[in-house]
Amino acid sequence: MAFVSVEHVTKVFPRDEGEPTVALKDINLAIEEKEFICIVGASGCGKTTLLRIIAGLETTSEGQILLSGRPIEGTDTDRGMVFQEYSLFPWKSVIDNIAFGLEMRGIPKTERREKAEKYLKIIRMEQFRDAYPHELSGGMRQRVAIARALANEPKVLLMDEPFGALDAQTRNVMQRELLEIWEETKKTVIFVTHSVDEAVFLADRIVILSPRPGKIEEVITVDLPRMRDRTAQEFAEMRKYILKIMEDSASIR
Amino acid sequence: MKSKGMFILAICAIAAVLLACGCTDTGTSTDTEKDYISFGYQPSTHQVAYMIAKEKGWWGEDLAPYGIMDLEDHKFPTGAPEMQSMLAGDIDVAYVGAAPVISALATGLDAKIVAAVQVQGSDLVVRPEVTYTSPEDLKGLIIATFPPGTIQDTLLRDWLQSNGINPDTDVDIRPMGPGDATVAISEGAVDAVFLPHPAPATIAAEGNGYTAVKSGEMEKDHACCVLVVSGDLIRNHPDMVEQIVKTHIKATEYTIANQDEAAQIYHDMNKVDMAVIEDSFANWDGRWITDPAIITGSVVDYTNVQADLGYIDRPLTEDEIFDLSFYQKATEA
Amino acid sequence: MRKQNKNTYRNILIPLASVALVILVWQIVAVYIVGNTFKLPSFTEVVSAFFADMFGPRGTLPTDIVVSLYHFAIGMAAALIIGIPTGICMGWFRDIDIALNPIVEIIRPIPPLAWIPFAIIWFGLTHEAAGFIIFIGAVFPVIINTYTGFRNVPKVFIEAGKVLGCTKNLALIQKIGFPSAIPEITAGVRVSMGIGWMCLVGAEIFGAGTGKYGLGKNLWTYYNLHQMDSVVVYMLVLGVIGIVIDMLFRHYVNKQTVRWQNNME
Repeated sequence: MAFVSVEHVTKVFPRDEGEPTVALKDINLAIEEKEFICIVGASGCGKTTLLRIIAGLETTSEGQILLSGRPIEGTDTDRGMVFQEYSLFPWKSVIDNIAFGLEMRGIPKTERREKAEKYLKIIRMEQFRDAYPHELSGGMRQRVAIARALANEPKVLLMDEPFGALDAQTRNVMQRELLEIWEETKKTVIFVTHSVDEAVFLADRIVILSPRPGKIEEVITVDLPRMRDRTAQEFAEMRKYILKIMEDSASIR
Repeated sequence: MKSKGMFILAICAIAAVLLACGCTDTGTSTDTEKDYISFGYQPSTHQVAYMIAKEKGWWGEDLAPYGIMDLEDHKFPTGAPEMQSMLAGDIDVAYVGAAPVISALATGLDAKIVAAVQVQGSDLVVRPEVTYTSPEDLKGLIIATFPPGTIQDTLLRDWLQSNGINPDTDVDIRPMGPGDATVAISEGAVDAVFLPHPAPATIAAEGNGYTAVKSGEMEKDHACCVLVVSGDLIRNHPDMVEQIVKTHIKATEYTIANQDEAAQIYHDMNKVDMAVIEDSFANWDGRWITDPAIITGSVVDYTNVQADLGYIDRPLTEDEIFDLSFYQKATEA
Repeated sequence: MRKQNKNTYRNILIPLASVALVILVWQIVAVYIVGNTFKLPSFTEVVSAFFADMFGPRGTLPTDIVVSLYHFAIGMAAALIIGIPTGICMGWFRDIDIALNPIVEIIRPIPPLAWIPFAIIWFGLTHEAAGFIIFIGAVFPVIINTYTGFRNVPKVFIEAGKVLGCTKNLALIQKIGFPSAIPEITAGVRVSMGIGWMCLVGAEIFGAGTGKYGLGKNLWTYYNLHQMDSVVVYMLVLGVIGIVIDMLFRHYVNKQTVRWQNNME
């Protein structure tokens, strides 16, 4: 039984005029525990929609999603999410942001701050404990967002192009750090990106979606040992392969 | 440093503008060419003499020979804003209560009382559920009357005090105009009002109160409304002033002799019910008069009361208030 | 050392000199040009009236200040208690917004002072009547700014809240909507305080309030007694208190919110 099971998921968005948009058509996916899955595709392929459905922020038009065998209904703390936009609460300090999920569970202040400390340490930002989001750089903010999502100890960590707004250098650094955090926490991660490079660097398996309507073109296993060398030949070949699939699927339609 | 210079220049410019304004606006006009007269009055049966003369065109007729081509008038709810207007130089002749004149004179109003208009004529009206047997019964009540400095306010406070009731602590006196006070008592927002006629009759007719005390009981023959003329008019157009007094006497005598017609005219001008006006004329304790000599004592007395109340710094003398010469000349002929 | 001197010169001496100059001009114009204390009381007359009103035996200025502040407090409290929840509901629940919006837009343009007759009829000549007028003036900026603040909560905050376990509407409003909307709300409160204070005078003049004390009330009393020097005293006191209230509010609120306000993306 797969950890996360996406079964015949179809999502249709009604439009004011004309035909409704079929964002996703009959998506089927089985994700194992502790896997790092990347979903890639051109814009409009529905990857973000799929992620949001798994998060519970959107509903399916058809099909269902099972987590540990049980269908999901709406949002839940067992599925944490890191958003593309900066989503830290500006009125809370770093440590209080991280502790937010714990606060929602009713855990008293000292206890939750202690738990949050643990994740603050994982992202190595102890000295920024009492800083406010506006004082942090983009990369630091996303690290805190990751810590905040993890602090709730979700079963699955969903990430929607979390490094999209960062410059290339910070992005590379963040990808490394993310892998380190993943090694340490052993979470199941579903990571959406439009950067094939990023997907090849991070993922165990890569799901390639093609647009209009969104459907899975192929699922590729990336066998390379981590930390992967971006300049290595196998890396480049993998990239080329994926890009070709994406190009082909784009030109057919 | 440059901005400092600009700044000083700006201030000087402002001062220059004010200077220019000050020099060109001298308030009362000193030119002897006067072709219009501005009257002030209040919608009270006390001042019906003014209204009769206006309705019959006597003001216009009688003053035309003196070069007056235009007349205008302004209606005021109480004497206080009327005196503001006179202080500002906007009216030349005022039918007004004697008390507001006093506080205005104390602030530098350039004018004199030249004739009397009436005495008494205000009632203390209490709500139907209030039982009145003596002033004591007023303790703890809310009483609405004209603003500070008016006859009604001055008289009420003086009378309460002489009956052992502290107007500041034993009762709650609220200032307002006649319309507001009438509404207030009908709403029950106040327990009593002290107002000049015809308001007491209106209130009684609507079943919202009854007369407990007439002002004549508070002080017999107390001065009420008077005829005030600006100092400018007195100095530069004494002949006009004499005529104004004559016309006033004519109107007053006509009113006394033709009360039905007077009631009709009052009704037409002020839209008060005829029945109410007739009731007012029948039941009020007021008398229309013209001779200022009758009221000099009472008015000087008011200045003492107002000084005690702190409304003015010191009491005024008869000469500072009255100019009796015009009445004498008007009645000599 | 030199920088300090320059700052002192700029920030203290220049404003001081400017005010002194205005007072001088006022005094000269009042005494030598206008010469009529009714039309323009001079600065010295106003100062002595101030002392008489403040400390003299017949002066009621201290009580007037307290009573007016009381009216102001009643009005502002009512404006916040009614305005903020209304703004929240309208900003959060689209249906409530659609339902209430036309009502708000019809009532809002009515000038607060036009409510005076009903204030007196419904509340009588009481402190509450004066407070009501201030409430009418103050409540609409509060409603509108609260509403805007809530409408503008970035969707990502709400979604982040949901995935972190904050799912019920009430919790979302309280823990995410409200903190996010605070800058807008405080801006609205500040505007409403300014308007409320300005309505105060009108309300008290027309008899709302208990009739004996109040800055607006006694400003009008002195007018009726033609004592314009005291009228100027009351005008200036009204202005000064208005500014002080605004300054205190800004100082206190800024302390709380400026921490995170910079660059809220």
